[in-house]
Amino acid sequence: MKFIKNHLMFILPLMAILLGVEFYLVFDRTTDSYEKTLTEGYTMLVVSKKPVKLVTFQKLNKHIISSKQIERSNIISEVAKGVSKSSSKEILAVLPYFYNLSLDSYLKTSELGEIKKDLEVDKNIKRVETFGSSYNSSYRLFAFIKFTLKIFIIFMAVVSLFLIIKQMEIWKYAHKERMQVMEIFGAPLMLRSGVLFRVAFVDAIFATIFVSGIFFYIKFYWAAQSGIDIISDNQEALFQIGDIGILFGSAIFIVIVAVYTVVFSNKGAQE
Amino acid sequence: MSNVIQASQLTLAYDNGAKEIIKDANFTIKKGEFVFITGPSGSGKSTLLKALYGQLTPTAGSLVVGGNDLAHIRRKKLQELRTHMGIIFQDYKLVNEWTVSKNVVLPLMIAGYSSEIQDTQARRLLKHVKLSEHGDKYPLELSGGEQQRVGVARALSKNPVVILADEPTGNLDDYSSNVIWDLMENACQQLDTTVLVVTHKIPTIFSLPYRHFIIESKGVYEVH
Ligand SMILES: Nc1ncnc2c1ncn2[C@@H]1O[C@H](COP(=O)(O)OP(=O)(O)O)[C@@H](O)[C@H]1O
Ligand SMILES: [Mg+2]
Repeated sequence: MKFIKNHLMFILPLMAILLGVEFYLVFDRTTDSYEKTLTEGYTMLVVSKKPVKLVTFQKLNKHIISSKQIERSNIISEVAKGVSKSSSKEILAVLPYFYNLSLDSYLKTSELGEIKKDLEVDKNIKRVETFGSSYNSSYRLFAFIKFTLKIFIIFMAVVSLFLIIKQMEIWKYAHKERMQVMEIFGAPLMLRSGVLFRVAFVDAIFATIFVSGIFFYIKFYWAAQSGIDIISDNQEALFQIGDIGILFGSAIFIVIVAVYTVVFSNKGAQE
Repeated sequence: MSNVIQASQLTLAYDNGAKEIIKDANFTIKKGEFVFITGPSGSGKSTLLKALYGQLTPTAGSLVVGGNDLAHIRRKKLQELRTHMGIIFQDYKLVNEWTVSKNVVLPLMIAGYSSEIQDTQARRLLKHVKLSEHGDKYPLELSGGEQQRVGVARALSKNPVVILADEPTGNLDDYSSNVIWDLMENACQQLDTTVLVVTHKIPTIFSLPYRHFIIESKGVYEVH
């Protein structure tokens, strides 16, 4: 019972850190694709007196990656309903050209403003609509969620690290005598701390398996029927086989740090 | 005969030199000698032994053991030196979660001997200290006298150059004490091992010639 408790006291905080690491990975991946859809879905509207080629736009600002002219005939048909053919021709002659511009990346409102300024340098361009405010609010919310989650993950990692060190101190106490006896008889560091390493490695393996298991479950059972678009759309990004390696690597790293902390604070201890 | 231990102007202290225990001590101990160290409690007997196995670094002077000056020894070298020492404690310092056999061959395990050699040696050593029946037991299942025999067996297991014992019989009755003295005399006589024993009472039945040092008022003096 005490044995199990001792291990849980180490495995649980380790798991908390690994969960944080995995959440971070998953969040980075899904938000990447979310950012992409935000970028892809976004267009800037430009009104121009004369037709403008994409290269001309790009000369004005390098963030622009594509331009799509809105069919003028469609506009005419809407604007000139019930108007005679000849007068609709007149309208067409004075009607400006409309373009939807897409950008290469997700930009801040201020950066959108700069693009607007750059475009307005061209005398043909009469008007640029960035739709900055609606774009901005979804971006802000997105950035806020991202920030909060990262803070939470860091906070959890710090608390967990303290718990791990606490548990390590208990181990240190439990193994102190043996390690001292071995040291007196000339055992090198690796041999003295061998048991600690073995115990901690086993716990690292368990923690990795548990966390991977949780994410496997989330990916294959929970995600599909969660009904949350961003999750089901990004099911692939939720957990990838390579993550097991990252998790195990992180666990081993934490374990090595923890064991060395114990071993070295045992050193030089007078009896 | 070569000097196994040589102290010159040896000073030992705790608290970064603030608490001086032994000051400017000079003595030489040769191979195969049996040495008793006595002195009032708190005089620094254990402190001297700690310095001899490198647990306490001399503050000044030199303390040469087996050719190494412990005042300037490197960690690796000290580890090596310790594998040639058999150390015995008043409180045995056995590893209670290990079997008696495993305790006995700890020095062999540290030296990297195969488990076959460890097993054979464990049997030989346990027979030597008359504990053949107890190899699979754990230390706390044994009496104090038996535990100290395990301690002696462990100290002897790698044929050490020097045995350092800190009140090895301090917790034992007369009968058990005599068994321990016998074993140590035997090691000195048969294996030519140098033996240093801290004790508050030199055994009355002791057949070997021995030297006797007293630690008092920070000094180490030989009694003739
Ligand atoms: N780790 C230590 N730190 C500071 N003082 C110590 C330490 N160990 C022992 N002492 C002090 O050194 C003196 C000698 O102790 P010790 O060598 O154990 O005496 P003894 O002759 O009884 O074995 C004592 O006054 C003791 O309190
Ligand atoms: Mg003492």
